[in-house]
Amino acid sequence: MSLPLAISFNFLTAWEFWIGVGVFAGIYGIFVLGLQLNVGYTGIVNFGQAGFMAIGAYSAIILVVEVGVPFLLALVLSVLITMLIGVLIGLPSLRLRADYFAIATIAFSEIIRDIAQNARGLTGGNQGTISLELDNNVFFTDPWFKVSDWISDNILDPIGLSGLEFENLPLLIVVWIALGLLALGMTMLIRSPWGRVLRAIREDEDAARALGKNVLSYKLQSLALSSALGAIAGWFLAFNLQSVSQDNFEPLYTFLGYAILVLGGMATFGGVLVGSIILWTVLEGFRFLDLPLSADKQAALRFMIVGVVLILLMAFRPQGVFGKREEMVLGD
Amino acid sequence: MEGGEAIGPPLGVRAGALEWARRNPAWVAVGVLALVSVILIITDGLQPFAQRSVNGLVAGSYFALGAIGLTLVYGILKLVNFAHGDTLTLGAYIGFFFNVTLGLPIFIAILLAIALVGLFGVATEKVMWRPMRRKRAGMLQLLLMALGLAFVLRNAIQFVAGTQPRSLDVDVTSTYSFLGLTIGRTELYVVITGFVVLSAVAWMLRSTRLGREMRALADNFDLAETTGIDTGRVVYITWFLAAGLAGLAGVLVVASSGSLNPNTGFFLLLPIFAAVVLGGIGNAFGALAGGIVIGLAQEWSTLVFAPEWKVAVSFVVLIIVLIVRPQGIFGRERTL
Amino acid sequence: MTEARANGKPILNVQDVHLAFGGIKAVNGATFDVREGSITALIGPNGAGKTTLFNIITGFYKPQAGEITYNGESIFGKPPHAITKRGMVRTFQITKALGAMPVIDNMLLAAPRQPGENLATLLTRRRAVRQREKEIYEHAYELLRTFNLESKANDYAATLSGGQRKLLELARALMTEPRMVLLDEPMAGINPSLGRRLLEHMERLRSEEGVTFLFVEHDMEVVMNHSDEVIVMALGRVISRGTPQEVRSDQRVVDAYLGGSGETEVPEGPPTPPSADGGVQGG
Repeated sequence: MSLPLAISFNFLTAWEFWIGVGVFAGIYGIFVLGLQLNVGYTGIVNFGQAGFMAIGAYSAIILVVEVGVPFLLALVLSVLITMLIGVLIGLPSLRLRADYFAIATIAFSEIIRDIAQNARGLTGGNQGTISLELDNNVFFTDPWFKVSDWISDNILDPIGLSGLEFENLPLLIVVWIALGLLALGMTMLIRSPWGRVLRAIREDEDAARALGKNVLSYKLQSLALSSALGAIAGWFLAFNLQSVSQDNFEPLYTFLGYAILVLGGMATFGGVLVGSIILWTVLEGFRFLDLPLSADKQAALRFMIVGVVLILLMAFRPQGVFGKREEMVLGD
Repeated sequence: MEGGEAIGPPLGVRAGALEWARRNPAWVAVGVLALVSVILIITDGLQPFAQRSVNGLVAGSYFALGAIGLTLVYGILKLVNFAHGDTLTLGAYIGFFFNVTLGLPIFIAILLAIALVGLFGVATEKVMWRPMRRKRAGMLQLLLMALGLAFVLRNAIQFVAGTQPRSLDVDVTSTYSFLGLTIGRTELYVVITGFVVLSAVAWMLRSTRLGREMRALADNFDLAETTGIDTGRVVYITWFLAAGLAGLAGVLVVASSGSLNPNTGFFLLLPIFAAVVLGGIGNAFGALAGGIVIGLAQEWSTLVFAPEWKVAVSFVVLIIVLIVRPQGIFGRERTL
Repeated sequence: MTEARANGKPILNVQDVHLAFGGIKAVNGATFDVREGSITALIGPNGAGKTTLFNIITGFYKPQAGEITYNGESIFGKPPHAITKRGMVRTFQITKALGAMPVIDNMLLAAPRQPGENLATLLTRRRAVRQREKEIYEHAYELLRTFNLESKANDYAATLSGGQRKLLELARALMTEPRMVLLDEPMAGINPSLGRRLLEHMERLRSEEGVTFLFVEHDMEVVMNHSDEVIVMALGRVISRGTPQEVRSDQRVVDAYLGGSGETEVPEGPPTPPSADGGVQGG
């Protein structure tokens, strides 16, 4: 047998492929900023982030396609709807102990996925939202493509990156600008007096209460902001995939989010960016290893590696690669 | 609030009823079940209701088997084992391997699956959980580690066995009928096996020394250690039992539903969680009852909703219980 | 040092408070008041319900019956943060210094009226946030200086010694601008010279700023020499109160302590609290 690990020749030249990977890294970076706020800074274990992403994506699409709301307004409304649902979910369940909250949120996200799968008239069911768009002849992503074409024609073409070859480059740029700005914004928030209260709650709720802080209110705010970030990640996922269906929101994606979180490290928003790039590069770059295996087995191998890395990090470096050891407060 | 009065001022009737409900959650649960049964019998007729109940008992038997292991591990080690669902899958594939690939009788395959998955549970304790407890790992650390283990397990199974659906070499076509109700022959065996094993486990927990030791550990680990219980041994046995029962549940799921893929167990994890939380997390008898109730609730729901909503029913039950009574039916308030 | 201030009017009034965990009546009809500007000690054998009562007064446990007024207003059943905002703050028996935050952040956190703790005003009133941050920063440094913690300001609180943590907790509590401070065993586990400093701070704050102190303490020397009034609890009730001399000669008090033949034999009271979010260490 020849070298099983030979790397195929087009590893670095498959631009479109790597742009796609970068888009995913950006989208899930935004997704994980929310987890970082919840887990890394507030100490609440949100296992339902994929559910919030789903609500963001579906509500934006449904508002545009079925209700006829203008595109930008729909984007804004989708975030508000997701935040509202975040608060409604958090209100009863944030009183629970952290591990119960984790179970409650994963159940919530599975209910959302069940609705997405079964309320076909509303969501397109397993065919995805494209079936709704075809029915109504209204296409959610059209306004985005106008923006995308404009970026291609006016910014990228002049520097030799033609829209034909680099179709997804505008999305990559926009997603990463959004991610960068959001990460910066979150960092500023967490360094504010507001963030100081969150960090106190993360470490000791009773101490925060005794100092006059309304702990439940802050946890709700943290969850609401995190669900907003999930919703924004949901828009970009819809732009990227052009049609979403329930299997884009399996709990698997929340768990991959946790892998990104841990790779990048606890209590650092910058780490999220790095973690997302590492995870998606490893996951997708794996395709370039010329393994004599079926696609199923390759996929299994990739996720096995994610699992092993998660276990090893938790065993030997729980604060993650770039996390702050001193701020390691992982519940008790 | 009135001040300076005698202890325990007389409560209003409504407040009194609520207080009674709070103290007697098991009766409330029985009452709710009875009420739902009566309503369903009136609206849908006795025969459909009874048929769904039979189906519910089949599902309930493997939910309960899965739930006992999850709740024992939580009760004793305070570990929310997200890999438990995939442990079921592992059992199912081991059963498949011996029963189909090697052509052994299903009975032998089941015993081998219980033994091997049980040993797998012991191995995870030895390699992962014990060292992590020594390091005084936090709740989230353990949670994410369990998640990592779930990833590894599910994908290792997929790597070895592929994603194509499998089924066991069991008779899925013949059925028994009595009183106008139908049950598959294999399903009947599943229910019988499930209830025999559940009774044995319940007896073991209640009446044997090992069972008392396990409950003592679940009650207060450190105290149990000081009273001379060999906690290391009990923990290993707990893992063997928890994983072994999950392995059995996995084989029974596949025997009765007829289909197996690497995600089978993971998708059963949440209904099993629902059973555990309903019964009171950490309480083995509660898990047993919770599993059966979840099985019944899922099947009964098909009388009212389309069957694709069946699974969502258990999630809704889970969330309602978490909100209304997070310590579950049999959990004491102070365990939370 | 036992200057009883008989003329101070009550700032805290506890009336017939009851709380049982399961079958155990941790607090069983406790009634007392605390005069404004006094240093009042709360003593009693282990299991008398002192810490439970602290948790009830400060809103961490919800009592089953009774009435509590603070500053003329009912605080019965109010959540802890609301009670702190009314000017009554507590410390914990096991210190709750926030180890993953620098000492100075522990202090800043406790300051009231920081508009930057509200997301809306954080974004709209940037100047007011900065202005307030500057104020409380100065105030925090001033307090840290008084408590000899200035040099530790930028260290993570986890690096402090046990005694320093107690000081930090008191300094942090003072950041909330309290009129009344509840201290749960402030002297436990710290060396005598630090303990003396803590007492000096209490006495100075009482005389200079009129802060009222209620503290649980086992060290009888501290109780007898540094408090104006002593409240004695046993089995969930107040059995005696008065000046240290009065209490010392009260036969009921002697019986309560001797009846348990020392402090350690009375079974310890509060089990884990009944709610998921009220998890305060009992003791």
